[in-house]
Amino acid sequence: MEVNQEVIAHLAELSNFALTDQESTRLVSDLNGIINYISQLDELDTSGIEPTYQVFEMENVWRPDEILPQDADREQLLNLTKEVRDNQIKVPKVL
Amino acid sequence: MTKYIPTIGIECHVQLCTKTKLFSEVDNDARLKEPNSCVSPVDYGLPGMLPRLNQDAITYAVRAGLALNSEINLESRFDRKHYFYPDLPKGYQITQMYHPIIGAGFVELPDGTKIRIEHAHLEEDAGKLSHESTYSLVDLNRAGTPLIEIVSMPDIHSAAHARDYTKELWRLMTYAKVTFGDLYNGNMRFDVNISLAPEGSEKLGTRAEVKNLNSFRSVERAVEYEIKRQTKLLEKGEKVIQETRGWSDATGETTSQRSKEEAQDYRYMPEPDIPPIRLAPEVIEAERARLPKLPAEYRHDFSKVLTADLIEVLLDYQNLVEKLAELEDEKTAKKVANLFSSVLLAEENASLLNDELPTKEQLLELVEMNDKNELSSTATKEVFLKFFDPEMHFKDTRSIAKELGVIQENDMGALEAIVDAVLAKPETKQAQDDYKAGQEKVLGFLVGQVMKESHGKANPSAVQEILKAKLK
Repeated sequence: MEVNQEVIAHLAELSNFALTDQESTRLVSDLNGIINYISQLDELDTSGIEPTYQVFEMENVWRPDEILPQDADREQLLNLTKEVRDNQIKVPKVL
Repeated sequence: MTKYIPTIGIECHVQLCTKTKLFSEVDNDARLKEPNSCVSPVDYGLPGMLPRLNQDAITYAVRAGLALNSEINLESRFDRKHYFYPDLPKGYQITQMYHPIIGAGFVELPDGTKIRIEHAHLEEDAGKLSHESTYSLVDLNRAGTPLIEIVSMPDIHSAAHARDYTKELWRLMTYAKVTFGDLYNGNMRFDVNISLAPEGSEKLGTRAEVKNLNSFRSVERAVEYEIKRQTKLLEKGEKVIQETRGWSDATGETTSQRSKEEAQDYRYMPEPDIPPIRLAPEVIEAERARLPKLPAEYRHDFSKVLTADLIEVLLDYQNLVEKLAELEDEKTAKKVANLFSSVLLAEENASLLNDELPTKEQLLELVEMNDKNELSSTATKEVFLKFFDPEMHFKDTRSIAKELGVIQENDMGALEAIVDAVLAKPETKQAQDDYKAGQEKVLGFLVGQVMKESHGKANPSAVQEILKAKLK
């Protein structure tokens, strides 16, 4: 798979990133480097093999359905956002 | 003119009523709560947070699946579905794309039609957006609420069946107690896919998807509207566009919601933070044993004594049909069903059904007293309503009836004495003579006098018999 400016622009759009030309050019070369390196694995025949979900062979890692106090309260969490209004996160109009 | 046949598939999101969210130990019931007050760093999507799977969400999903007559998959997994939207802080939703917990099943509609279920999967809900004039606000109380998404096969072919299907899903999910089923608060939401094809055509037409319907009625109306809209387009030789449409209850119309629709690309990948689920068959059997009687079974059982229409009305109240089933004897169940429907299903009394229902003993005695003519039909209804009175509901039927003073006198000796007393009164003399002269309708007047004398407690038909005998 070849990563070009178009692919980067598509991914940026999907993730709502604004990239400068410089950043975009660097990402093309970085990602191509990474993908080329990883594609060495392509020589293995993986047809009919389930994707690996996790490598520790764990199963059924779950917790009881009980409410517990949290480490962070509303004020702390809302403080992390750019703009707050009526205890809600204010974002540019969507829809 | 070509006849077009609609083909409809429905996706239904059901919010599970677990105590905590799917991946965090935070209160899952955000009704009447302050915005962003039921939120943890996990729901906020902060970097480095690990989702912690709620075990009960798994068992609820199993129970929901059994109510859908579905295969339960012993192994299921979670995946990430990526998209950018302000109501989804992580930038991806944890869902089950490839290995859902609930497999193929079916839902049986009141008329016996079977709608197949393709599968149903567990996933997390997103936050709630409200839109103001120049900005939007995000409340993350709902982010991370466990959902099951139930995907039907395209087996529905009319607006009425679309409504019946969604209503039946609501009954199944509330009977199984996996959701509060509060439609007004969005506990169940429906996306309807609908396309038209010429009658006899093998190929399906292009579909439109109407998203986020939250009542059975809007499902029905939106389908009716889409059938009309798409028929018009096809008759003009135009094409239906594959798109998402929104429904407005106010205008009764669907409108296109296509924005600058970048081709959807969710970049699904296995969720590495949550190891796979492997269910022991015993867990499934335990849930099966816990599953209450479902509407289809009640329909079958009640069909011998109740009309189909009445059964459908009663089935909206699970506590009520459970109570009727307790009564065992069919004749008794029928009488009680009719009492419920005539007294309680009237608009002004319907809210009483949320209260504690009368006990089996109260109902059995009520029917018995009515059978023995100790209670007239009016008195029976009166006593029945008192079962819901907080001052009375713990008392037995006879005590309530006594307190109301509505028990009919059936003791023939006692009744005869009253009749004699009435006949001895000079003011009834004329009526007695008229009756003997052949004017039978004055009997009503005499019965009335006896009823008055008995303070309304005499059994009118018994009084009539006694009068007739005495005036021969």
